Amino acid sequence: MRENNGFRQGMQIAFRLGTELTVATFIGAMLGYGVDQFFGIRPWGLAVGVVLGGAAGSLNVYRAAMLLSAEEFNEDDDNNS
Amino acid sequence: MESPLHHFEVHNIIPIHIAGLDLSINNAVVAMWVGLAVIAGSFMLVVNRGVSPIPGKLQSILEISLEFIRSMVYEFIGEDEGKKYVPFIASLFLFILACNLIGLIPGSYTITSQLAVTGAFAVGIFLLTLVIGFGKHGMHFLGILVPPGVPKIMIPLMVPIEVISMLARPISLAVRLFANMTAGHTVLAVLFGLAMTGPLWLGWLPFGFTIVINGLEIAIAFIQAYIFTTLTCVYIGDVIKLH
Repeated sequence: MRENNGFRQGMQIAFRLGTELTVATFIGAMLGYGVDQFFGIRPWGLAVGVVLGGAAGSLNVYRAAMLLSAEEFNEDDDNNS
Repeated sequence: MESPLHHFEVHNIIPIHIAGLDLSINNAVVAMWVGLAVIAGSFMLVVNRGVSPIPGKLQSILEISLEFIRSMVYEFIGEDEGKKYVPFIASLFLFILACNLIGLIPGSYTITSQLAVTGAFAVGIFLLTLVIGFGKHGMHFLGILVPPGVPKIMIPLMVPIEVISMLARPISLAVRLFANMTAGHTVLAVLFGLAMTGPLWLGWLPFGFTIVINGLEIAIAFIQAYIFTTLTCVYIGDVIKLH
């Protein structure tokens, strides 16, 4: 099941990390927009929301990348031993 | 020429309307039933025939896939805690895989290319992680919103970021599967449309590409089912271990 095609695997990783960042930024923006509508403090909620969303997205990408590199480490160990 | 998005349309086959709710049986529901029937049928066939110590072809395939899923669950959730979740993860993986693969048969319907379906899966998994987390840790579960080793001064900043990153999980889970499936099938439809409209001396070229991309799509069907279930395991493992 594990694909040995490096390029295809790389594309999948890229796509996965890409969605993490995009979606988190989008959620942050939407939450900020909702806060704006609710409290009537346009445009501050959206501005803060996008920044926080971007931060959350970076955090998610970092975690996903750490997970992926941890997997790779394990594979290397398996190959060496 | 037909629209390349035509094959994503949902048609009612048996209209059922109860109290203003549209519960019609449409082609998407039928595709889902076929997926379920393939999975359940193949397991039933093996069990009815008798599970032999020397496995036949079908039994080997099913055993290998179950072993694979079990080792994945144990890796991300842990062996003691993970045991409970193996049936759930296994059915999730096999169902998504079956639906992805059934969608590749020309003329059938790809149920995982509907955001409603993948979204329902993702939201269900998200609620499941919340139930597991609160059930296991009680109110301490809210501690997942504060990563370990964060200075006190940063907590008001980290909590909204963690909330957003939690909320982003189910959506990215749903969007990833949906977008991969929709994109792949749209590419196939566009290429096939080109092959059909062009003259024969030119039309063979896009038709050849559809065959190549169909092969790629089979790989993507496996990879996406794998990624979806891996991330489900990771999310469940996160709320169980709580850092």
